[in-house]
Amino acid sequence: MLKLEDYKVVFVSAGLIGLLLLASPVLSLAIHLPGGGEEFSELWILGPGRMADAYPFNVTGNVNYLIYVGVGNHMGSSKYYAVYVKFRNQTDSLSNATSGVPSSLGQLYGYKVFLQDGQEWSAPLTFSFSNVSSLGGQLVVGGLAINGATYSVNKPSSWDAEYNGFYYQLLIELWIYDAQNDLLRFHDRFVGLWLNVTAPQ
Amino acid sequence: MSIRSRRWAKTLVPVAMVLMVMCLLSREPLAAMGSVGVSSSIGQAEAAIRKAFNSTVYAEGAGANVSSLIARLNEAGDLLTRAEVAYGNGDLSQAEDLAGQSLTAANSVRDDALTMRDSASAATRSLVSLSVVSWAFAFPVFILFLGIVWSLFKRFYSRRLMKSRPEVASDAEA
Repeated sequence: MLKLEDYKVVFVSAGLIGLLLLASPVLSLAIHLPGGGEEFSELWILGPGRMADAYPFNVTGNVNYLIYVGVGNHMGSSKYYAVYVKFRNQTDSLSNATSGVPSSLGQLYGYKVFLQDGQEWSAPLTFSFSNVSSLGGQLVVGGLAINGATYSVNKPSSWDAEYNGFYYQLLIELWIYDAQNDLLRFHDRFVGLWLNVTAPQ
Repeated sequence: MSIRSRRWAKTLVPVAMVLMVMCLLSREPLAAMGSVGVSSSIGQAEAAIRKAFNSTVYAEGAGANVSSLIARLNEAGDLLTRAEVAYGNGDLSQAEDLAGQSLTAANSVRDDALTMRDSASAATRSLVSLSVVSWAFAFPVFILFLGIVWSLFKRFYSRRLMKSRPEVASDAEA
């Protein structure tokens, strides 16, 4: 049989645990423990059937193409994102996620997206090329229309002998609003869609 | 035609020509001024959206349910995107109109977010007060309860100890 002193220790311990349980609602209001899990954002593009296949690749002028752009927020709170669409050839600068530097190219089209934690967003992105002309070993894309907005790009591309084509890339970058500095900054995420452009016959 | 009419005509024709030339010359600067105005409206709408988002985040931090505000922010952002597209396409009047709509929507979100933040903060303060008062009442009651349980246990323990006390037995035969 245990001594009374031993029972006292057990009783005091149980009493303290009970007190903590009793105080837990008040403590939870005062102490905010950090939420577990990694904070990250998602950026993706899907094909016209909202699946990761059938992406446009062999494209030509004056034809509409469709893809879907999506963003997911897992940052632990509501976020303000900007999705910028850029257009580059093989020699134009590419975004660098490791060093956090976006492509130096200017944005053509931009989506503004507000998401709560755990929410996802996706939207169609239709594009078409105009004034596509080839001359010798060079192809020039004169205009690009994105979601009905037309842009004069006049972007040349040289013949890629390795992959047999004139290659361009639709570059999609994810930017996030930085409340401290009151600006949108590159969020180290980008996706690109390579396109083999040919002049219309 | 009378002499008076001829005189009028002689005066009016050069004036009309000068006015026409002035109109032609002033079209470019006027268009540029309009472009600057629309650009400024778009900038204002962008700033309003950022402020509205900041207010929404504060409201969320205070414990408010901001899903409706987020939906409205997306609408304001969409209007701003459309304004930028219209501006890029040279449709200045539509760009101005859409930027104005975006600005109004963003300001409305900011106002509602501030109201929601204040309500949520007040609700949190009430909850904290209620919890502290409840705890201040519950703490002595719990301590009293523990004391009663301990004294009852001590009594029970002592009785049990007394019952189990070994009795001295004598096996010596008289």
